[in-house]
Amino acid sequence: MIELDIRCDICGMRLHFPMGTVIVGPVCCSDHGQYSEWHKNALLPKRPPVFDRVSNTNDLFRIMLTIRLVEERLQAMCMRGEAGDLHFSKGQEAISVGVCAALRPTDHIVTHHRTIAHEIAKAYSMPSQRSIFLRSLIAEILGKRTGVNGGIAGEMHISNPAIRHDFSFQLVGTSVPVATGIAWALKNAELFSKQKNDEIVAVFFGDAASSNGQVHEALTIAAIHKVPLLLVCENNGLAGNVTKEHYLPTKTVAERMKAYGIPAETIDGNNVDVVRSDAMLASAWVRDGGGPMMLECMTTRLSHHKQGQGDARSKEQLAELAKLDPLLQISVSGEHPGAYGPVRGTLESEINRELDDVFARVALDPLPEPNFHA
Amino acid sequence: MTTPHAWQRNHLIRDAIYRAIEERMRADPTVMLIGEGAEMKVHYDAPNIERDFKDRVLTLPITEDCNTNFAVGLAIAGCKPICNIITSDFMLRAMDSICNTVAKTAYCDKPRTIVIQAEFMTGGPTTGQRLEGLFTRIPGLNVVVPSNPADAYGLMLTALQRPEATVFFEDRMIEDADIDPADECGEDSYSIPFGVSAKYQGDEVTVVTYGLTVQHLCHLKPRTRIEIIDLRTLWPLDVETVLRSTERTGRLLVVEPDVMFGGIGAELVAQVVAQGRPVRTERLGAPRATLPACRELHERYVPSDTEILEAIESLLR
Repeated sequence: MIELDIRCDICGMRLHFPMGTVIVGPVCCSDHGQYSEWHKNALLPKRPPVFDRVSNTNDLFRIMLTIRLVEERLQAMCMRGEAGDLHFSKGQEAISVGVCAALRPTDHIVTHHRTIAHEIAKAYSMPSQRSIFLRSLIAEILGKRTGVNGGIAGEMHISNPAIRHDFSFQLVGTSVPVATGIAWALKNAELFSKQKNDEIVAVFFGDAASSNGQVHEALTIAAIHKVPLLLVCENNGLAGNVTKEHYLPTKTVAERMKAYGIPAETIDGNNVDVVRSDAMLASAWVRDGGGPMMLECMTTRLSHHKQGQGDARSKEQLAELAKLDPLLQISVSGEHPGAYGPVRGTLESEINRELDDVFARVALDPLPEPNFHA
Repeated sequence: MTTPHAWQRNHLIRDAIYRAIEERMRADPTVMLIGEGAEMKVHYDAPNIERDFKDRVLTLPITEDCNTNFAVGLAIAGCKPICNIITSDFMLRAMDSICNTVAKTAYCDKPRTIVIQAEFMTGGPTTGQRLEGLFTRIPGLNVVVPSNPADAYGLMLTALQRPEATVFFEDRMIEDADIDPADECGEDSYSIPFGVSAKYQGDEVTVVTYGLTVQHLCHLKPRTRIEIIDLRTLWPLDVETVLRSTERTGRLLVVEPDVMFGGIGAELVAQVVAQGRPVRTERLGAPRATLPACRELHERYVPSDTEILEAIESLLR
């Protein structure tokens, strides 16, 4: 795809238009005021895939469904006492799937404690990793020796070099400074390896983490050094079981980024097509040396903070929120309106067959050796 | 033209540390020096590093916690960072990143070389806290407190070659102390393994200590021949040497500049006593109290020469 070299009037970010697009007005990349609406209406539907790993919406839907089904099985195991308390991201799947689909296989991700979705999304965006991956992930979560970290890291501390999942940090906010360090090293790779590097880091964190001091410290460094860092804020309006009036003084997280001169855009995080196309734009900007950029993906968490805990929201509120489920969004918007209602059942039974096999194998896997070294 | 090791002040522990860092930077392109005022520090203290490796020295804001996590990011990407946190007290700002991130990424993922460097100052309540004992309780960290420039050089070389996280303390007062020429950092290249203490021969009382206190002890003139054991690293801890020495002497005195309560002395005495042999033990250390800002009170805070000599005498009685 040949692209025109058109840049944002405000910040100079390179925008990707298909050849033949006629530019009729001012061009802007994000929410800088009056151009925003024009930008959204004119640009979003036309965004071409820049570097496409997962070929179509069908695939994206399938990955989201896989995450949902894996988490549902694990949740049932938690309820039966067969697994520890895990953190699920039911309702947030579109963000990890959309962002990872926009990344290159060589790009890195650093995540927080709700890692199952990120792991599956990153692995599944790389077709070569799919078949070998699920078993090692499930084994890790269930504490088996065959796990991707030998069963000792667990759901909240997973790392997987094969898919460039550098680490997951249980402590809220830690992912951002560590990702900043990785991004700095990637940008300055010539110093260490004599090779230029155009890899980027996508870091996931929640809106609650955006009030954490470490995040602001890291944003300072990231902005000063213009590191290739794609900040993905999963804004579910929740900090554990606490709602956002207790921790977020601003309307959005994006507006906080202005203080650091980091471009930020607030997008619909429940629509995987929107997330993917915006993540493509943003990652192109980051890769081109524009410095860090943030996507604030508005979403909702339909699962509890942690399996085994109650929820701050009422049953009625949760029922209302359930309408925002990304698995429903994709079937009523985008190129395939209504496409997923009928095929969902077929897909589910296909995926479930695979999961039956994986869970059965993992159940027989051995436990890790007790190795209490320093 | 200055040669790589043309240091003017071989007797400063800081110079010895920078000499080791420079040597590793020359040998290993992934070694990086980061921290608050890092570039300014090498400008004054390590001109060779500034001249040859300017790109690998990174000044970061006064954000200790973030800087340490940033160092973990560098390590994950394949670098070997030395994160300078200036003083031990500032480390308390970075406890989350040191104890949760640095120490635990090594366990869950794979061990990587990270050095966290700080010095002990003596400025008062929050500029002079001894934290070495605290860090020995955190699995995943090595704790190094060298007592002289020669050791500091060798231990820093080791820290930068081990795929492990190391908390490296500089006992700053050593700069003011009277350094034995034998402890000066010469021109040779050598590394000192972790978990191996140094011994100053004697046979009647085993005196275990580390850091600046070793210098004090070496200048004491007790009426008996004491065996001084300089631990050098508090983790790994060279219990073996202490056990062997106490088997011979039957008397153990631990002198620690850290708060004595629940400290390294308690650990060593417990391990020696657990052997079941008749050993007389004594501990000396700082009280579990805040260090006052008044300079005249500093000497009263840590064990004085008189107290140490009295403790040795009491073991002989």
